[in-house]
Amino acid sequence: MADVKAISLYIRPEFENPAVEKAVVGDIERRLSVWERVSNMDPVRKFTVLVVLVVAWELYTRLGSINELMFPTFSKTFAALIDALVNAGLLINIWNSLSLLVTGYVIGISIAAVLVVLGVWTRFGSDLLTTLTAMLNPLPAIALLPLAMIWFGLGNQAVIFTLLHSIIWPVALNTHAGFQSVSETMRMVGRNYGLKGLPYICKILIPAAFPSILTGLRIGWAFAWRTLIAAELVFGGQVMDTSGQLGAEGGSAGGLGWIIFQNQMENQTPYVFAGLFTVIIVGIVIENGLFRNVEDRTIRKWGMQQS
Amino acid sequence: MPSEVMTTGAADATSAASKPNAPILDVEGVTIQYKTKEHLITATYRVDFQVFEADRFVILGPSGCGKSTLLKAVAGYLHPVEGEMRLNGTSVTEPGPDRVMVFQEFDQLLPWKTVKENITFALLNGGRCASKNEANDIAMEYIQKVKLDRFEDTYPHMLSGGMKQRVAIARGMAMEPAILLMDEPFAALDALTRRQMQEELLALWEDTKFTVLFVTHSIEEAVIVGSRILIMSPHPGQVKAELNAHDHSHATIGEDGFAELQSKIHNMIFADRVLEDEVVNHG
Amino acid sequence: MSDKAIGTYVRPEFEVDTLKEATNVDVERQLSLVERISNINAVRKMSILLGLVILWQGYTMIAQPEPLLFPSFVSSAEVLWETIVSGEMFQKVWVSLYVLLLGYAAGLAMAALFLVLAVSTRIGSDFLSTMTAMFQPLPAISLLPLAMLWFGLGIPSLVFVTIHSVLWAVALSTHVGFMGVSETLRMVGRNYGLRNIPYILKILVPAAFPAILIGLKIGWAFAWRTLIGAELVFGAAAGKGGLGWMIFEKGDNLDTPYVFAALFMVILVGLIVENVIFRNIELNTISKWGMQR
Repeated sequence: MADVKAISLYIRPEFENPAVEKAVVGDIERRLSVWERVSNMDPVRKFTVLVVLVVAWELYTRLGSINELMFPTFSKTFAALIDALVNAGLLINIWNSLSLLVTGYVIGISIAAVLVVLGVWTRFGSDLLTTLTAMLNPLPAIALLPLAMIWFGLGNQAVIFTLLHSIIWPVALNTHAGFQSVSETMRMVGRNYGLKGLPYICKILIPAAFPSILTGLRIGWAFAWRTLIAAELVFGGQVMDTSGQLGAEGGSAGGLGWIIFQNQMENQTPYVFAGLFTVIIVGIVIENGLFRNVEDRTIRKWGMQQS
Repeated sequence: MPSEVMTTGAADATSAASKPNAPILDVEGVTIQYKTKEHLITATYRVDFQVFEADRFVILGPSGCGKSTLLKAVAGYLHPVEGEMRLNGTSVTEPGPDRVMVFQEFDQLLPWKTVKENITFALLNGGRCASKNEANDIAMEYIQKVKLDRFEDTYPHMLSGGMKQRVAIARGMAMEPAILLMDEPFAALDALTRRQMQEELLALWEDTKFTVLFVTHSIEEAVIVGSRILIMSPHPGQVKAELNAHDHSHATIGEDGFAELQSKIHNMIFADRVLEDEVVNHG
Repeated sequence: MSDKAIGTYVRPEFEVDTLKEATNVDVERQLSLVERISNINAVRKMSILLGLVILWQGYTMIAQPEPLLFPSFVSSAEVLWETIVSGEMFQKVWVSLYVLLLGYAAGLAMAALFLVLAVSTRIGSDFLSTMTAMFQPLPAISLLPLAMLWFGLGIPSLVFVTIHSVLWAVALSTHVGFMGVSETLRMVGRNYGLRNIPYILKILVPAAFPAILIGLKIGWAFAWRTLIGAELVFGAAAGKGGLGWMIFEKGDNLDTPYVFAALFMVILVGLIVENVIFRNIELNTISKWGMQR
């Protein structure tokens, strides 16, 4: 088509603007108005969304004449939360859950660390680790609870056993995968400095693989937290079945999952909601407070975050 | 290819005499502002220029002169706060396939499509082709033009940077837009590849005489690639001059005229004493 | 340093006309058979599995633990075989998978709805990030008591908690993925005149596919765990059901070989979903496109 139309350049005279207009522009750079800046702040907008949700909830439950037992109002729920915190010892329940969780988490990570070190040192260790994780990672830890109850009886030991299982495999899997994907260059740099054995692992491999280690720790926490709540619910059912006596087993007053189950059985729906709130808050504190902080101080500062 | 390019200047000068009826792109008094989280920034101030058919129109300026912003406005991604841009007489309001853009970044190809699919996807979704077969034929034609046959079924991640840019150019040309927009397309390439790509672009232009609006911060590239150069001042960007460069190409690099034009532009830009590293003999 | 006056040692240039043939060394040689076999991953892993099985069987034969507490490999395998042949096992698996698929599909549909809203407006985006920030840390299983209150003991309750476990994981990951799609790719898509749903489907979804796939995987993992957990709780309360319930019931009756057989099955389902289904999706998409992170 080019040949037919014989397109050609249109040559036109050059020109220069001798004096580019200066400073007539007015605002070259101006701060946005306060309103614009405030609405650009993420926390402000998200908090507004929260407030709107709460108002919608309160209105829906008040105006819709909803059965109190099925769906309590926000104000009832909030009152129940305060009451549970002050009078019913909700803090003890939180502590019971968290102390079990932390115990399991620490032991689980130690076992995972041993497995991963073995995996780094020998090919057999690496094969053993990949086979075990491939097999056991897809197994929901909670499925082991009945077995744990057979072996350890109804109690903290059985819960910790299942928690361990939920932590070890994701942590080991991600750490091992992270180690394996540490670049050859980085490894050679480390060996260039004469590092070997444990110092090599701690000073080169762990920092270099930290993004995936952190991912593993996060998934491990998420699985463990879910497993713990589920285990407490199952315990609740088990205790109801066998003795009909609430709070008789599982230490002093049981954990958060237990409290939710118990309140539901007693038709204390506002307290069930209050329990759920607590679970959410604990989750947010650990995920956004703890892990987010670790992430900010490490991989974010080092510019290593994956997404 | 270089042998063809050599004749470019002379041929143009003789055959181009009469003024075409209307410009393809008419930019009139365009001021563009954009917002960051905290600030409102004026990128360009009352910019006028006209691009005619078959122009290799280069916008040249130091970084911060708003040249990329201007190009994005022409593409329809940004809206000017005053002034108007008309493409063949109709005002530009939003992005569209009549102004295809070639970006600097290598990730402009859809990584989930092969080289050929990247072009056919554009043809089919841009409304240029209705049938798959037609799109395939056109795609293959342009893949051959940028000498990437054998790679048509390759995914972009297997290609080198230069090859990716070639696919992007082929994609842009296959769409046969009214104007092809190029935003520093060769800036991320190594010097040798960049020169080769410039030569190929000029050869392609010889072939189809497409209209292109090309943004760069390299004076040399502007003189080689451009037939007409718009020079902008920085912060906010304003038109400083419009110069002809149709007589220059790789073949004339050693000649006096080339160096003269280069230093003329250099002085113009540095008259403002804005020392921008990028402008100093880049490329 | 400067007063040492080191000069450049200028030496003659040279070129080599003909290169010597390599003699006395194998330029390329095949490894020995044993070396090659032991380099095959599958072979090494199979032998490890075999070793573990022998260890298990050996332990039960020598130490003779109470079979109710720790059955031998052979008796567990026998039970597994029996239940598979009688069809009982597959029926249980199907009951669980059916609920899982229902919940997964419904969860994905709802996530898609939220995401379309989030992509089109800033309020939608804020709403979605607030909701995910709130519900993602909440274990879905803890909603089971509420679900039982609202829907009673039955499949609707199970589906409800499964939806909850899938929805937020997928929505969060996909939303983050969408926000991470490069400005260049967005501009390319809009350059072709793509808008709204076609723009989301043809540009954002494939471009964010690595993140979406991660979301789908996490969603599956949570859903599978939640479902098994919920069936355990149900088992305790009442009702009948799938694999989780079977584990609970058999554990309660001290039919330990059955528990092991059911656990096998849970692992098998997990392996198939993760290593066959997701692995294949990954190979055919992000691996092929070179988009892995």
